[in-house]
Amino acid sequence: MKQETVDVLIIGSGHSGGMAAKILTEKGISCLMLNAGPIPDVDKDTTQKSTAELPYRGFRPPNRLNHVFQSNEFNANVWVDENEVPYTFDPEHPYNWVRVRLFGGRSLFWSRQSFRLSDYELKGKTHDGFGEDWPISLADLDPYYSRVEEIFRVTGQKNGLPQYPDGNFVPDTSTWTGSMQRFRQASEKMGIPCCKQRRAEGVGGLASSVNLLLPRAFESGKLKAMPNVVVRELSVDKATGLVNGAHFIDRLTRREMWVKARTVVLAAGTLESTRLLLNSNLANSSGVMGHYLIDQTYGVGVTCSVPEARGGRATPALMGGGALVPRFRNLQTKANGFLRGYAYNVSSHMGAIEPRCFAAYGEELQKKLDLYHGSGVSIGVMGEVLARYENHVRINKDVKDAWGIPALHIQTKYTDNEKNMSQDAVETSVALAESAGFEVLARNAEPNPPGYSIHELGTCRMGNDPKQSVLNRWNQSHDIKNLFVVDGSSFVSGGWQNPTMTILALAMRSSEYLAEQMRTRAV
Amino acid sequence: MQRRDFMRAVLAATVAPSAVLAQTPAGNQTPAPTPLHEGPPAPGPVPWMQGLDSTRLDHPAILSLEDFAHADLGFFNPDQMTALTRLCDLLMPPMNGNPGAKDAGVPEFLDFYVSESSNEVKSMYKAGLDTLNSRSQQQFQLPFSQVSASQADNLLRPLLSTWMPDHYPGGTQERFINAAHHDIRLATTNSQAWAEAAAKRRQAAHLEMYWSPVEPDVYGERAVLIDREMLNNRKMNQSAAN
Repeated sequence: MKQETVDVLIIGSGHSGGMAAKILTEKGISCLMLNAGPIPDVDKDTTQKSTAELPYRGFRPPNRLNHVFQSNEFNANVWVDENEVPYTFDPEHPYNWVRVRLFGGRSLFWSRQSFRLSDYELKGKTHDGFGEDWPISLADLDPYYSRVEEIFRVTGQKNGLPQYPDGNFVPDTSTWTGSMQRFRQASEKMGIPCCKQRRAEGVGGLASSVNLLLPRAFESGKLKAMPNVVVRELSVDKATGLVNGAHFIDRLTRREMWVKARTVVLAAGTLESTRLLLNSNLANSSGVMGHYLIDQTYGVGVTCSVPEARGGRATPALMGGGALVPRFRNLQTKANGFLRGYAYNVSSHMGAIEPRCFAAYGEELQKKLDLYHGSGVSIGVMGEVLARYENHVRINKDVKDAWGIPALHIQTKYTDNEKNMSQDAVETSVALAESAGFEVLARNAEPNPPGYSIHELGTCRMGNDPKQSVLNRWNQSHDIKNLFVVDGSSFVSGGWQNPTMTILALAMRSSEYLAEQMRTRAV
Repeated sequence: MQRRDFMRAVLAATVAPSAVLAQTPAGNQTPAPTPLHEGPPAPGPVPWMQGLDSTRLDHPAILSLEDFAHADLGFFNPDQMTALTRLCDLLMPPMNGNPGAKDAGVPEFLDFYVSESSNEVKSMYKAGLDTLNSRSQQQFQLPFSQVSASQADNLLRPLLSTWMPDHYPGGTQERFINAAHHDIRLATTNSQAWAEAAAKRRQAAHLEMYWSPVEPDVYGERAVLIDREMLNNRKMNQSAAN
């Protein structure tokens, strides 16, 4: 039996793993990619069905996905079953860990909102004294963001706002609809900038690792992949202290196996990468691994109606389109009761208004639904969560997954900072909506449980000080030089922005650094 | 590259774990042995699987469960079930040619669905229905199933609120009524009876992408098929070029 040693072992196939594979194979480096789940095939794995054909009538199948609020009976089989891969938390402080183990990971399912972090986030401590600065600035990331935006075909308008950095956009030439123009005017009247949304168009409707990053890597012949392997732990050469491979379990047969590698790139998603490192008992001389878990507050917002669009009067000129209100709090002035800030994602639509927007039932409710049809505007809040040491994950050896791997315990909660910010966000959005002449139908100032945004970040944060951080400024372990972690776990702070573009830019930057280190035999 | 093409590329570059670890020694040209089938032969003259490769069931008359069969009820007690049925009738009556919740079998569906749900949901429903009955007795000396529409309105309207997704209103009974209202409406509009009413009006059924369990390709059969397909395409391209 011949045992091959691969140059780079990449664990995970989502955006960050895909980017690592693309960059490394372009440099002529051979890679083996491991993924815990199967390869989806839309032709084979999906069918068009009506709710009437489903045994649960479209409701979320009970007790498999209690913490995946995004799930329903149509998509239930794409999420990780909480019984198969359990995790634990304090019942008083639940965490919604939303996971996908299909090849391509969560890059198959994301909202395409594409933002850069600004120096308000990257240098947050310098600005307001809380937490830590990143060891890099926007200037360091700028060239990588530009290349990522080109690959993902990010549409947008340049606004010249420091808190909403411009990028390498496919120009957005769309006009504002009447309802969004009114919202914009109301916003500007209050001194709050209102911009166009920015999103990844991708190719063929998909903006994923599987169509934008991995195809070229496979075509090069330098990338091979193994689906359905669940990595248990990384292995270490006792003589050098370097990682030299991974022990894994064949998902199907439960057979224990292992591969050897010269370098390991972890890209399993923030909490899975950290879980693997904690289970491997590696790279944690700082003691901060697992700490500073961050996400973003979601679920806060309001639903409104545009009176002029009711009674069948909605037109495409009046309704439709959207807006993005970037962070406006705590930039030049100081908000009362909280640090950092939030953004609004605003969308106007001509469809049905949900029944929850009316305190009525039966025929009375139906009349309202008919009258208000086509007049809806929703304002969603995306708020920054502060990076705190006490928000952390650790291994719970008493609970194991279907492959016998110890589970993660997630201990995190929001504080007054997030709560006060959410309250301010709702009050301000109500004021904006009313100023625009909208009727506010429903509102909520209580964030969904942590994790809901699917933007879990941190737990292996980067930094210049090996005593205060797990990774250096290149996403390389301080302790083990041939170990890189390129997913969202390196984040020092999260901001309000969807982190995908930043994860991709960091993975690209780190992979180019790794390739150069390998060329010069420094790794 | 289209998604389908991507899948071919991935599958072509995908290897089973054992294939990476156990490489066939170079120069070993020994033909593969005939596969051995373990286990006893079929107890008769005909192999087990004979004829199945061309078998297909044409035009089966398949009934959906709820079309024909009756469900065993048992999660809610009789008082809770009659209260739930009345609640269904009030919150989602038949309207505009569409069936109401009762016609759509929603009480029976919820008896099943809630029984399978978390303890929190089970308690919310049971306690909520019990409270409806007790408040009804207190105010009108009748169980909820027997109060008039206006009496029921007195009990229900103060509990109705507007809310945002995943955030039902705060009080226990308020939460129950708004959650049940949502569930009753959804179970009605997603029912077979609703779909049939829409079909009678020649309205197209609303279809969505349903994901089956994505089971792994245990024996690499898809990869083999795709390899064969790629080989055929290459041969066709070559002959076209010639």
